[in-house]
Amino acid sequence: MKIKDIMIRDVTSVLATCKLVDLIGILSRHKITGLPVVNNNQEIVGFISLHDIIRATLPNYLGIINSDSILSEFIQLSKSLKEYSQRPVEEFMGKNIITIDEDENEVLASDLLIRNKIQRLPVLRNGKLAGIVTLTDICRVLMENNENKE
Amino acid sequence: MIGTVTLNPAIDVILEVSNLKINQYNKVLNAYTTSGGKGINVSKAVRACGKETIAIGFLGGGRGRMIEEELRGLGITTNFWHIEEKTRSNTIISDKKTGEHTLLSETGPEVTDYDLEMLKSIFYRVMSQCSVVTLSGSLPRGVPINIYSDLISIAKERGVKTILNASGEQFINGLEKKPFLAKPDLRESNEVFGIRINKEEDAIQAAKQIIQRGAEVGVVSLQNEKDIIATRDEIWFAETTCHKIVNLIGAGDALVAGLAISLTEEENKLEEAIKFSMACALASALREEEEFSSREEVEKCLQYVIVKRMYK
Repeated sequence: MKIKDIMIRDVTSVLATCKLVDLIGILSRHKITGLPVVNNNQEIVGFISLHDIIRATLPNYLGIINSDSILSEFIQLSKSLKEYSQRPVEEFMGKNIITIDEDENEVLASDLLIRNKIQRLPVLRNGKLAGIVTLTDICRVLMENNENKE
Repeated sequence: MIGTVTLNPAIDVILEVSNLKINQYNKVLNAYTTSGGKGINVSKAVRACGKETIAIGFLGGGRGRMIEEELRGLGITTNFWHIEEKTRSNTIISDKKTGEHTLLSETGPEVTDYDLEMLKSIFYRVMSQCSVVTLSGSLPRGVPINIYSDLISIAKERGVKTILNASGEQFINGLEKKPFLAKPDLRESNEVFGIRINKEEDAIQAAKQIIQRGAEVGVVSLQNEKDIIATRDEIWFAETTCHKIVNLIGAGDALVAGLAISLTEEENKLEEAIKFSMACALASALREEEEFSSREEVEKCLQYVIVKRMYK
């Protein structure tokens, strides 16, 4: 099975110069939590997720997980978001990008997703963004294939 | 890859009735929804023929997300800009007894200057993946009439061939930037450049005007089953010999899809491109369902299309 037959055919993305406030607007309207960052030729230069934003705006982010209350951190988050709202996405995005070609298969995609502990894998066609594949998409197709065999 | 722009998409609600009576109780026999808008229809027709396509434009709210889901399910790539207001809906009453279709079309949502700026940015980026782009349909509120001319300029800068299929002032304005191919949408007024398109001579005159204004190919439809195609040196006449048409909704968009496909297949000569696009339109018009035809179905329709060079 080829990735192009499984992937979500959406190339919604942002430029590295996109302001944080605009990025949050896009994530909110699309009801998603992360996006590829591209240049003007649709080549991927990074990936930005809410996780990256929270990590940047709350330096003691990992500590919150084990704390009893997030109230004080929430106030800090609110202040930081306001302060960073006009800053470009490139300051927060992950630059170590893992991608897959649309002609590769689901085994390689699963391996990349699991080994790198990532949620979404940008899919490329001729080096340009062609879609996104997630572990959920792969599992769904595998389940459908199993049902068809039975 | 073929790009399509739909600035004012819609959710089409199709209600099937038998013998619609105005001002009376009518029972709906069947109801279903599908995504609509001229550019989206072009993408659907292109994809049905097995070609890669990407749909761009404005969407909003839950209706917008429904459209995206449907398009992706069909294998169409999406890159819409989501606006604050929700996408409009069109209601199509399909009378199974009389064969008549009644379209009730909502005005589109309001688009802001910021939305326009973001759409142009998306368009610029996506053009790096396209060889042809179609610009079709009406404009939502807040979008200036020169939007198509702006997009044509961007596409040209990126070396992408453009097909303009719009009506009224948007069409005339778009022509100023000299699209590769232009076809007026005559559904609302049957008139372009002040010429009412009633007979062959009117269509020829209008097609010639399109060329004089800078397009390389001008296409003018005549009485649903005929087309006049003009270039700088030639005038072509195309018509179908099959008259079993059951559904004209989307046939014009299928024609545009056929032209776009032909432009991506460089070995195609103009005569073949005209024939293929007419076959796309015919295959769509022969279907009762709101779906577009496969390449195989289109190729079967080629036998019913006559293309003649009229004069140089």
